[in-house]
Amino acid sequence: MFDALIEGLFLVLQWKAFGLMMVGMGLGFVVGLLPGIGGAATLALMLPFIFKMSPVEAFAFLLGMHSVAATTGDITSILFGVPGEGLSAATVVDGHPMAKRGEAGRALGAALMSSLVGALIGAVTLALSIPIVRPLVLTFGSPELFMLSVVGIACITSLSGLGARGQIRGFAMGLLGLLLSTIGQERQSGSLRFDMGMMYLWDGLDLVPVLVGIFAIPEIVDLAVRGTAIAGDRQPENLQAGVMEGIKDTFRHFWLVFRCSAVGVFVGIMPGAGGGVAQWMAYAHAVQSAKDVQDRERFGKGDIRGVLGPGAANNSKEGGDLIPTIAFGVPGSGAMAILLGAFMIMGLLPGPEMLTKHLAVTYSMVWTLVIANVITVVLSLAVLNQLAKVTYIRGGLIIPFVLLLVFVGSYTANGQIADLIVTFFFGLLGYFMVLLGWPRPPLVLGFVLGRLIETYLFISVSRYGFAWLTHPIVVVLILLTAFVIAYPFIQEYRERSRRPVHA
Amino acid sequence: MRRGRILFSLFLIAVAAYAVYSAWGWTFKARLFPLSVSIPLIVLAATQLLLDLFGKAETANGPSVELEFGADVAPDVARRRASGIFAWIVGFILIVLLLGFPLAVPLFIFFFLKLQSRVSWWQSATLTAGAWGFFYGLFQWLLHLPFEDGWIQSWLGM
Repeated sequence: MFDALIEGLFLVLQWKAFGLMMVGMGLGFVVGLLPGIGGAATLALMLPFIFKMSPVEAFAFLLGMHSVAATTGDITSILFGVPGEGLSAATVVDGHPMAKRGEAGRALGAALMSSLVGALIGAVTLALSIPIVRPLVLTFGSPELFMLSVVGIACITSLSGLGARGQIRGFAMGLLGLLLSTIGQERQSGSLRFDMGMMYLWDGLDLVPVLVGIFAIPEIVDLAVRGTAIAGDRQPENLQAGVMEGIKDTFRHFWLVFRCSAVGVFVGIMPGAGGGVAQWMAYAHAVQSAKDVQDRERFGKGDIRGVLGPGAANNSKEGGDLIPTIAFGVPGSGAMAILLGAFMIMGLLPGPEMLTKHLAVTYSMVWTLVIANVITVVLSLAVLNQLAKVTYIRGGLIIPFVLLLVFVGSYTANGQIADLIVTFFFGLLGYFMVLLGWPRPPLVLGFVLGRLIETYLFISVSRYGFAWLTHPIVVVLILLTAFVIAYPFIQEYRERSRRPVHA
Repeated sequence: MRRGRILFSLFLIAVAAYAVYSAWGWTFKARLFPLSVSIPLIVLAATQLLLDLFGKAETANGPSVELEFGADVAPDVARRRASGIFAWIVGFILIVLLLGFPLAVPLFIFFFLKLQSRVSWWQSATLTAGAWGFFYGLFQWLLHLPFEDGWIQSWLGM
């Protein structure tokens, strides 16, 4: 096994494989910055180019591109509040307020360094878990996966507000997200739901216009209303110092970064959950590890831990994602499903062969994840100073370009003008939600998970009736959900009882 | 703000009620999930509505994990500026509909910079050229993304 590990490294370092990885990384960098053109879509676009490559070269090219897109997506999330990737939406919540406060450099430094640590943890987990992962994945059937998704939504909703009313609004938004996910053709029976006679809605609402609209447009409106630069009227920060501070933050909160990386790996392993879910669950975990109510209230207003958690999970889930893809041919996400196509093109069969006969190729993937992430972070740190200066440019000069990015990005999702209208509608919805204190993250997570939850629920009920509720892992996850929901109340109660009573 | 919250709760109730009404006639498979989501949504939105109408003022200061709009600008100015930017967005979508992206992009950028941001002619033209170059170079030349023609080009048979 050790020989295969070393052989995998040398395979990636061969000039052709390395060169192709660099080309892939260049593409991934641009794709990550642009909203709408997701990493998965670019993987699909690049598949035809791998026919003449060897397996190692092809995976160096594709994985190099994919892992970089996840990292650079965080840059636009922080600077403009526009999720560069569907996966980077959680970074907006705390990263962009930091940029508004004049701490863009620090947020970017933290996002990049936590991404690197996350990627390394994901790669190491992938390397170590290859022989032992099979039993873990096989214990999770549809009922367990359904409950896992419910835990994810409960985590986010429980953070959405303080007190009972905050919880009500959080859960209502989670339910609205789930309801929006039911628009379009129902997968079991094929019947159309809520299509309002429009063919555009047959496939359901696309994630990109919804996400970009709901997150980016309220930020643009805020920028226009304030009439200042993104960072306000502050003097430019010492960027180099800010970036270094962000890097140091990663190690100050290393235990949190480590735990969020573990969340990312775990969600990555679970088939179908996808990177966006990993980020939100890691974000929820970061918020829940706050010491008390006051500490928790800092999140959403530019807390560095809210950047570190999602940053780490976003990249660690790449390693986790690859585990079921390589070991069983069960892709963990849309991007991995496309990568599975690459396996077929290369004539490789995921499963035991990848762990025996082609072990060196498997380890070359691990090395690609490591090397691509290290190079990306080093290169990004070199250009961060220039990137962060954007936050000091007058808002009036930035807005038309961000709007261009938002609408062209949304349009590229399906190539239909209706995407622009959906983006606008969700922008308006997002604006009123922020204005009136209704949280957006639960809506987004409900929307992302909706289709999966419905499928898992349907399979669970069809296969087990209501007996699935008694599966041991399901019971544990139900208890965990109850705890997650009750936790803010417990925290508030403890806080109140600790506070001295005044007359 | 209170009136806004009441209206938003009513909006949610209306959306969920429409979902229940539409789903009622579907097959069991198709309606199971939408109904199990929209009925609790009605209950939660109605509870929120009642709390907003008759409950005490909220002690907790809004959501804990969310963006908050800056409070430095007077409310009427904020409303006017927000309406202004939404009008620009609607305008952009309209010119994309009428002329298609390749023409709408330079027009929108130029007029936004000139009229809204009050930038000099020279700077507006330079920035517009840069934005158009980026748009054309990346999306059309490199990625070959197909952009629909505008309605005007279609009418004129161009």
